[in-house]
Amino acid sequence: MAPSLREIQQCFIDAVLHEQVDPASIVADGRFPAARHLQLYRNNVFESLTAALRAVYPAIERLVGDGFFCYAAHEYVVQHPPTSGNLHDFGNRFAAFLAAFRPASRYEYLPDVARLEWAWHEAFHAADAKGRSRAAKNMAPGAADVPPLDPASLANVSPEQYALLRFHIHPSARLVASRFPVAAIWEANIRTDDDVPEIDLDAGADQLLVIRRDLTVEVEHLGRGEYALLEAMSRHETLGEACKAALAHQPDLDLVRCLQEYVRRATLIGFSL
Amino acid sequence: MSGATTTPSPFGARPIPAAAGIGLRAAHYRELLAARPAVGFLEVHSENYFGDGGAPLHYLEQARAHYPLSLHGVGLSLGSTDPLNRKHVAKLKRLVDRFEPALVSDHLCWCSVGGTFLNDLLPLPYTEEALEHFITHVAQAQELLGRQLLIENPSTYLTYRHSTIPEPDFLAEVTRRTGCALLLDVNNVYVSSRNHGFDATAYIDAMPAHAVQEIHLAGYTVNVYPEGEMLIDTHNARVHEPVWKLYRYTIARLGRRPTLIEWDADLPALEVLVEEAQLADAIMDAHDAVADWDDESRETAGSATQETVAETKGARRKANPTCSARSSWHEN
Repeated sequence: MAPSLREIQQCFIDAVLHEQVDPASIVADGRFPAARHLQLYRNNVFESLTAALRAVYPAIERLVGDGFFCYAAHEYVVQHPPTSGNLHDFGNRFAAFLAAFRPASRYEYLPDVARLEWAWHEAFHAADAKGRSRAAKNMAPGAADVPPLDPASLANVSPEQYALLRFHIHPSARLVASRFPVAAIWEANIRTDDDVPEIDLDAGADQLLVIRRDLTVEVEHLGRGEYALLEAMSRHETLGEACKAALAHQPDLDLVRCLQEYVRRATLIGFSL
Repeated sequence: MSGATTTPSPFGARPIPAAAGIGLRAAHYRELLAARPAVGFLEVHSENYFGDGGAPLHYLEQARAHYPLSLHGVGLSLGSTDPLNRKHVAKLKRLVDRFEPALVSDHLCWCSVGGTFLNDLLPLPYTEEALEHFITHVAQAQELLGRQLLIENPSTYLTYRHSTIPEPDFLAEVTRRTGCALLLDVNNVYVSSRNHGFDATAYIDAMPAHAVQEIHLAGYTVNVYPEGEMLIDTHNARVHEPVWKLYRYTIARLGRRPTLIEWDADLPALEVLVEEAQLADAIMDAHDAVADWDDESRETAGSATQETVAETKGARRKANPTCSARSSWHEN
């Protein structure tokens, strides 16, 4: 009996992902033997998915080299193939994969660099701050945004309610922390020149804010207090809770200046009570 | 007021003209917006704009203000035995609602089974079961999107033991049963004909002409293996001469059609894409001239001069509303 369409598709996908599966029961011999015809699809699939990972993880590729990257990408595709036709989601587990990937275990900082690159990728495609896209439609690329959060609107909030405010962080904002100087490692490895500076892995830990300002993704260093503040806000904690967390990490943090800056630079784009 | 509830389109009505267009890729955003070359339309891969915001959508919105748009999908996986991915359709619908494309297309293929996607246009076995299945998904997708889809013939590198229906017949039945249109990729026809040894012109002849609403042209790569050559649809080069020849044949049979120069890898300078589009336009213009000459010959028993050919050609352009708009697409 002829196999069902379902059986044909399952056999095809198994044969693409696992070389030991023989497609001869479904694929006809043509100019080449059946297995060679299927090999063309296998090559296309791994090439295109490796290219997709390479586009998101250019620093990882530079750090490990093209050969190792292709090897890791092949393993990643077999273990975590895409689960939708929207390729923007593909590669979300690459940092966790690298952390567990034995051949890369010598390079302890790799997963954190991957986390930074994924945060950059997410920030690049994240939603615009509300109201931006229509208002800015006719602006030249790079034109400054008007902060969507009008500071005057805060004047209507009575002081005894301040602690209960919940600020809304920009939809592109991502926070990345590492015990390694990942920003410096990343920065040095996304450049195309050959001149890679030496980086001291013990040069200290990084707390980073990855955020898209207008159309450009920025990677900004934060102190421990600010990191805790924004991290609490991104979890929708109240201002009171967020300030408590921030001051626990950094008692001398100038909270008023921080909040002014966040509103001015549209790191915070709204609030609710 | 009856019109008060309808929001006017921010882009104005811009049907796709029967002229050549180019793919819009990130590397060309700024140059295209600054130079605004005189091409008939722009086409983008829908899935590249599935993000929620940022630069891609920003630039697409700017480009859309100056050109008609075609959305070309690679991820609907219409031939999959998995249920139609509603999330994917919803993202596509969001794009369609925002950018008001004149054409929305995807492929005669499948990309996924059991929730695993391979990001490739995988060939279907052409069986009665696959036909029913594909028809159901096209009808569902059109229903959910609230519009007609175009289905493109794929490049293929293998055939199945159990296929019983020729590919053009399969496509013809899909259009007949779902009302969808076709995107005839002439390069794909040529690539598959070489890989499987069929007659490319017979394939073109078997296409239901009325259903073809767009044509694709691209460059292929010849891979050489110990057993022989295989043509791969790589979209990384100028259109090859045999494909131009098959395109001339296609236009002679179908008449003018919106024709896209597809170029996705090893991107050239923008002007190379525009040059390729001009070549396609020249083939369509030459066809019009010959067709006009034929019309004229019939009417005046062969006394037409070059001048009258040019005049009737102008008249034909004006009589066709999608062509008459052509001179104004790249104006402010």
